[in-house]
Amino acid sequence: MARHNLEKQLNILEYALSSLWRHRLKSLSVLLVFGAVIFLLASFQMVTQALSDKAKQVLVHTPEITLQKMSAGRQEAIPLAYGDKLAGIFGIRRVVPRIWGYYFDEVRLANYTVMGLEVAEMPEGARLDTTLAKGTMPRPGDDAQGWAVIGYSITNALDLAGRDTFSLFRPDLSLKPFVVRGEFSRDTDILTNDLIVMNLADARDLFAIPAGLVTDLCVYVANPTEIETIAKKISETLPGVRVLTRPQIQKTYQVVFGWRSGFGSICLLSALAAFVILAWDKASGLSPEERREIAILKILGWETSDILAVRFWESVIVSGLACLVGMTAAYIHVVYYAASLFRPVLMGWSVLRPNLHLLPRLAAGDILLILAFTVLPYLAATVIPAWRSATVPADSALGG
Amino acid sequence: MFLNPWSLALTLCSLVVLVLGTVAAKTAVRVLRFWEPGSDSNQQIRLENEIWLSSTLVAYGLGFQIITLILFVLAADEFCQVIVGAMCATGALLANPYGMPALLVKLFGVFFYGFWILLHQLDIRSEHYPLVRIKYLALLLLLPLLVLDVTLQTLYIAGIKPDIITSCCAVVFGESTGGSTNLIVGYSQQGLLLAFAGSIVGLVIVGWGLLRRWQAWLAGLYAAGWLWFFVLSLVVITTVVSSYVYAMPYHKCPFCILKPEYYYFGFALYGTLVPATFFGISAPIAGLVRGRAGLGGVVARYQRLAVQLSLILLVIFSGLSFYHYLKYLISGGEG
Repeated sequence: MARHNLEKQLNILEYALSSLWRHRLKSLSVLLVFGAVIFLLASFQMVTQALSDKAKQVLVHTPEITLQKMSAGRQEAIPLAYGDKLAGIFGIRRVVPRIWGYYFDEVRLANYTVMGLEVAEMPEGARLDTTLAKGTMPRPGDDAQGWAVIGYSITNALDLAGRDTFSLFRPDLSLKPFVVRGEFSRDTDILTNDLIVMNLADARDLFAIPAGLVTDLCVYVANPTEIETIAKKISETLPGVRVLTRPQIQKTYQVVFGWRSGFGSICLLSALAAFVILAWDKASGLSPEERREIAILKILGWETSDILAVRFWESVIVSGLACLVGMTAAYIHVVYYAASLFRPVLMGWSVLRPNLHLLPRLAAGDILLILAFTVLPYLAATVIPAWRSATVPADSALGG
Repeated sequence: MFLNPWSLALTLCSLVVLVLGTVAAKTAVRVLRFWEPGSDSNQQIRLENEIWLSSTLVAYGLGFQIITLILFVLAADEFCQVIVGAMCATGALLANPYGMPALLVKLFGVFFYGFWILLHQLDIRSEHYPLVRIKYLALLLLLPLLVLDVTLQTLYIAGIKPDIITSCCAVVFGESTGGSTNLIVGYSQQGLLLAFAGSIVGLVIVGWGLLRRWQAWLAGLYAAGWLWFFVLSLVVITTVVSSYVYAMPYHKCPFCILKPEYYYFGFALYGTLVPATFFGISAPIAGLVRGRAGLGGVVARYQRLAVQLSLILLVIFSGLSFYHYLKYLISGGEG
């Protein structure tokens, strides 16, 4: 019984394949358009996936809690003395001050990210050397001034190929000289591409920030499960300070990427709708030959359900092939071309763009999501035309 | 939170299923009004054609519903990343009061669509279409279920605010005493496992008895047993099996086993449990229409097949659910 059914389905599948081949132009056109729609949706999904994965990876190394002083709803410099007030809270490993800002280069019309740090104070400061392609970070006890470690784009922007000194303008337009003592490796481009790291005092000098003030305080917490509690205690101790925790930032990134990807998907839904209409139209326009074919099959003893099965298999084959083509193309687009079609939508608008190597991880769930977006509407659009064609009365088709 | 690919996909699928269901219901109304088995009028011939349409639509609807069910759990798992305090799908589903009801309606919906298709398959085996009226009445009853499903799902998605603090599964299914938020608490693991193993043995014995000689009361017992076993299995998977799969005593979550980290083990588990329950319950239910004209032989054949299938799936399911537990007992842990 089961064997008989299986053989019947296999025969029907064979018939469906030969039927697709007989109408190969029609099938191919549907296949190509469907493949293109899947390509667009799948690329979007894969870029989002890869970017949010990347963000997750990157955020692992950020400080657990970041403190920023707010005044009139805007961020302003935070006094170093605030760090001392946190001394009584258990579980805080270290509080590290940081100056963090953008330097606008009027020649290149680009923003550089400037970060002033006490490298020696950071818990993982000694390991920062591993991110450098050449040079070294200052060791604890090394009080050198006027150094900078720069990202790849900065080297190009400032044309530092043959020399290792450069100058940036202070707000009063006087020049501040720097010596390059290291360059970040290209592997960390997503973070360090437009970055200049320097001494805290140098950064304060460059941005003319008064002594005793920094832009934010990084709080390192020993036990990750205590982050929320410590954050609560800090906000009780220091009202008026914005307390950002790492999980919060992570969730915000997820929401933003999800939102952007959802927005993109909505835009692509119009393409999907157009395709569904095309599929419906292609499936319902029955030529006289097709009507004859169905009539002959019926006279030969085929039942309505058999013809429906043929149509079902045809749809499955077309959508399966289109998925294969579309998803492979999307993967190539994302991995080898860094999703150049959609990157501007999903990333910022910075002039110095990092060179991204995106690697989407395709779990079964994501494939199912793409299938639900594309194949299900297609199957639904072809089922009613399939039934119409399956119920063509044998006599009228042959007689007319 | 509609602006998210998962929410959009779920909504799209639900709309598609709703459209298919409505078209099928239109046929149902016409069949109920104008069906005349003896007539050979144009209308009757048209209706006999339309039966094919409605059954195909419901079959598609069933397939789509199974996909949405999986998608819904995966989406909840995805949502937990943006809901503060939720660590897996459990937390995300409990983020508002519509999550769990939506999941349950979807799960039971799959059974009901399955029963309808069974009814249809039995019906078309007989030349007289003896079940047409029952079938289409049932189809009209499925429609409110579908609407309820879509409504709950939409309310759930609309209610997800990315910053609500929810309890995650470690709290929800945890063993903390006196917690009022615990869904499943207070059963001893040993007791549950004994009941689980006992039910398996009981079902096998009753099934064996049915295969030897079909008796109505035994069939009723078999269906009731499967219903009980289904609920019990969900509890056992949550509180006992899952933590052996995760190799973490405090992680008791029925959804994380579906993830790639655990080799999609949950799909094998639920993929045997749900069909097994379906066949187990449907065999006695099919017996209700045994007396109709021309169905006696068909129903009897189906019942045998269904009981055999349910027993085979039951054996596979028990093997799967005890695998990690026995592995732990024998090898003394992971690695």
